[in-house]
Amino acid sequence: MKPLCKPHEHFNRRAFLKGSLLTGAGVSVANFGSLFHAQAAVNEAQKKGKRCILLWMNGGASQLDTFDMKPGRPTAGPFRPIGTNVNGLQICEYLPKMAKVADKLAVIRSMRTGSPDHPDGIYHMHTGFKQSERTPHAEIGAVIAKYCGNLDADLPSFVRMGPTGNAGPGYLGPNFAPFSLQRDGRMPTFSTSNLKPEVRERRAELFRFLETEFARQHQAEPFESHRLAKERAWRLLRAREAFDVSEEWPAHKDRYGDSNFGRGCFTALKLIERGVPFVEIGHDNYDSHANNFVCHKANLQQLDPAWSTLLLDLEDRGLLEDTLVVWMGEVGRTPNINNRAGRDHYIRAWSIVLSGSGIKGGQVYGASDEDGRDVAENPVNEGDLFATIYTALGINPRKKHFWGKRPVWLTPEEAKPIAPFLS
Amino acid sequence: MTFEKSKQIWGLKWDADWVTAVQFLGDSRRVVAGNRLGQMMEWQLPDKLEGDAPQPLRQLTGHTNAITRLRCTRDGRTLYSASYDHTVRQWDTAAKSDGETKLTLNVGAVYRRSLRHSGKKVEPVLCTVALQPKSKIFANQKEWITVMLFSADEKQLITGDDGGQVVFRDRASGKVRKQWAVEGWVHALAVSPDATRAALSERRPLVFDAASRRVFRLWDIAKAEVTADLSKDFSKMYLPALAWSPDGKTILVGRGEEAEGKIWLLDAATGKKRKEVSPIHQYGVTDFIFHPDGEHFLSAGRDTVIRIWNLKDGKLVKELGKPRGGQFKDWIHAIDLTPDGTLLAAADMSGQVNIWHLA
Repeated sequence: MKPLCKPHEHFNRRAFLKGSLLTGAGVSVANFGSLFHAQAAVNEAQKKGKRCILLWMNGGASQLDTFDMKPGRPTAGPFRPIGTNVNGLQICEYLPKMAKVADKLAVIRSMRTGSPDHPDGIYHMHTGFKQSERTPHAEIGAVIAKYCGNLDADLPSFVRMGPTGNAGPGYLGPNFAPFSLQRDGRMPTFSTSNLKPEVRERRAELFRFLETEFARQHQAEPFESHRLAKERAWRLLRAREAFDVSEEWPAHKDRYGDSNFGRGCFTALKLIERGVPFVEIGHDNYDSHANNFVCHKANLQQLDPAWSTLLLDLEDRGLLEDTLVVWMGEVGRTPNINNRAGRDHYIRAWSIVLSGSGIKGGQVYGASDEDGRDVAENPVNEGDLFATIYTALGINPRKKHFWGKRPVWLTPEEAKPIAPFLS
Repeated sequence: MTFEKSKQIWGLKWDADWVTAVQFLGDSRRVVAGNRLGQMMEWQLPDKLEGDAPQPLRQLTGHTNAITRLRCTRDGRTLYSASYDHTVRQWDTAAKSDGETKLTLNVGAVYRRSLRHSGKKVEPVLCTVALQPKSKIFANQKEWITVMLFSADEKQLITGDDGGQVVFRDRASGKVRKQWAVEGWVHALAVSPDATRAALSERRPLVFDAASRRVFRLWDIAKAEVTADLSKDFSKMYLPALAWSPDGKTILVGRGEEAEGKIWLLDAATGKKRKEVSPIHQYGVTDFIFHPDGEHFLSAGRDTVIRIWNLKDGKLVKELGKPRGGQFKDWIHAIDLTPDGTLLAAADMSGQVNIWHLA
C-alpha cells in the first residue's frame, strides 16, 4: 500500500496562483521560492541544527599575504610566513592567533572564479551564480535562513552587519531578506523607539484591529505580507536585547580585539547561541590597489584576534561542530605588486577558508603555482564552493526552486562539493 | 647655486626590486642603496661626471626585508640601515671586503621577460662585486622600523616603528636613552637640532573604521609629552614626510598615501602653517632633504619628480625629472645629497639609483 501523499507534495491553490501569476506584459512574477512547498526539506535541514557565520573580507583579501604565501618569490610581499599547529601549514605572521587554531581550518588555495570586479564578484560569491543572469538568485544567508531557520522565531534568520552581500533573498522572497545591523553589531538607530513599551503595545493592538477589519474586505496576498512583516518587526523589537552585547563586551573585547569587526564577531556568537542560523560580518576594506601591505597589516591585526576567538568560543560552547565559519571575499589579489605598492583584483588563483560544521580541519585543498599566478591542482569554482557549504550544512545543493515557471537550483549542475573537507 | 644647470648624470641599474633608500658615505663619492628585498649595494662614482654608469662595487648582506632608511655619519665611517626585518644594522664602511660574488644586475627584467611566451630574450647583465663583512645588529625591535635618523650632533640614533615605539639610543653605546610609545604606527619623525623637540606623525590605515589613526603632534622629548596636537590642522591626512630645518626654525610637512602631495612649511616655534608650496607631488610626498647652502630644500614623491624649493619663501626653484608611468607614476622613495650639495642621489622604484649633478 502506498503511503498517503504528504501535504507539501501537493500544489495548494495559493501556491498555484502565486506560481502562475502573470503580469499584463506577460512577464512572470516570482512565486518566492517554490511551487512545491519545500517544508520537508526545511524540516530535514532544521533537524540538523546547522548554522553559519560568514566573515566577509570586503574588497578581496590578498591570498599571497594571508594563506598562500610565496616567500622568496618575486610575487611575495614583506610579510613573512609562520608555522601553525598543523605540520607543514604556514600562514602570514600577522595571523599568529589563527596559527594556533589552524587545526580547525580547511584552506582552499585553488579558487578560480568568474567575476573579477566588486559588484559582480560580491553577487557571485554570495549566490554561486553570475550577476548577469536574469534570475534573481538568493544569497547564501537567505538560503540558510530558509533551510535552517524558523520563520516563527522572534529573531531574524538572516542577520548581517558591515559591508556584505548585494543579492538579497532573490527568488526566496522577502521572508528571507537580511536584517542589517550597524558595523559593530548594534541595532540600527531607527529601531530605537521613543515610546514606552506599553504605549507601543497599545499602538500595535490598534494596528492589528484595523488590519483585521481591512483584511475582511480586501483579501489579497500583499496585505497579508504587510501584516506579517509588521508582526515580525514587533517580535523583533521584543527580542532586541539579543543584539545588545554592551554589558558583556568589556569582558571580551581584549580577546576579540577592540574593533567593530571584533564586536561584530562577538555579537555573531551571541546570536548563534540564540538560534539565529546565519550571521554575516563584513570587514572593510581589503581593496588595496594602493598600499596593499600596510592596509592588510592593519586589517589582519583586527581579523586575527576576532576570528580566532570566535572559533574558540564556538568550540567551548559546543557550537563549532554545527556552525560553519566561512572566511572569504569577492576576489583575490594579483601576484604582481603594482607601482602604487598595491595588488589589484585576481580570480585565477586565490584562497578561501572554511571551518566547523563537520568540515575536517588542518588541511589544504588545491594549490597555486610557485608564484601564485594560476591554479596548479584541484581548481575550485563558485559552484563547488557553495556545494561544499550547503552540504556541510545539511542542505541539498541541488535543491530545486522556481522563479516564476523557471526552475532554479541552489548550485549549478556541474558543482561538486570538496570531498576531502566533508569526510 | 641657481640649480638651472642641474642634470642627471647616471642611472645606476639594479632592478632586483624597488630601490627604497639611498645614502652617500660622508664626503666621499661612495653611495649605498637598499631595496625592497633587504639587499644593499654600494657604488663608487667616478670623479669625472661623465661616461657610462659605474657598476656596483660592493654588496652588503644581512637584512631580510625591505630597507626603509639609510644614514651615515658625517665622517663616512659608519653606516646604519633600518628595515622591515625589525632591525637596525651597523656597518663599518672602511672594513676590508670579505670575498666577492657574481650577481645579475637586471634580474627583474630577466624575470619579467620569462613570464611572456614571445619576444626577445633579455640577456642577463652580470657583474662581480665585493662582499662587505658582516654587520652588527645595532637595534632589534618588534615591528617594521619605518623611521631612522640621527640627532644633529650624531650622538643619538632615533627610530620609530609600526608598533608605535619611539626610541632614542646612544649611538656610541647602543643604550636606550629615551623611549615612549604612541597609539598608532610611527609614520614619520623629525627632531629639532637641539634634540629637545620632535614632530611625529602616526597612522593606522584602516578604512571606514573608528580605529583608523591619522595624528600629527609635537613632543617634548625629555618629558615624552605632547606639547601641541596639530592633527586638526592636517585633518584626515597621512603625513609620511617630516623634516626639521638645521636652523631650527622650520618644520617641513609632506602629505602622502595617494593623496595630493601637498607640502607645508610650519613655524617650528608655534606649529602654525607658514606657507603651503605649489605645485604638489601628485599621489604624495615621500622624502625631504635640506640643501647644505641653508637656503633650499628638496622634496621627492610618488610622481618621479624631485623639486628644489626656496626655504625662505617656499617658491619653486627647479624641477628635476618628469612624471613617469601610466595613470599612476613610479616613486622616488628617498633622496640624499653630498655634503657639498653638488650631487644628488635618488632611490627610484624602477630599480635604479639616479645621480644628479646640481649646478
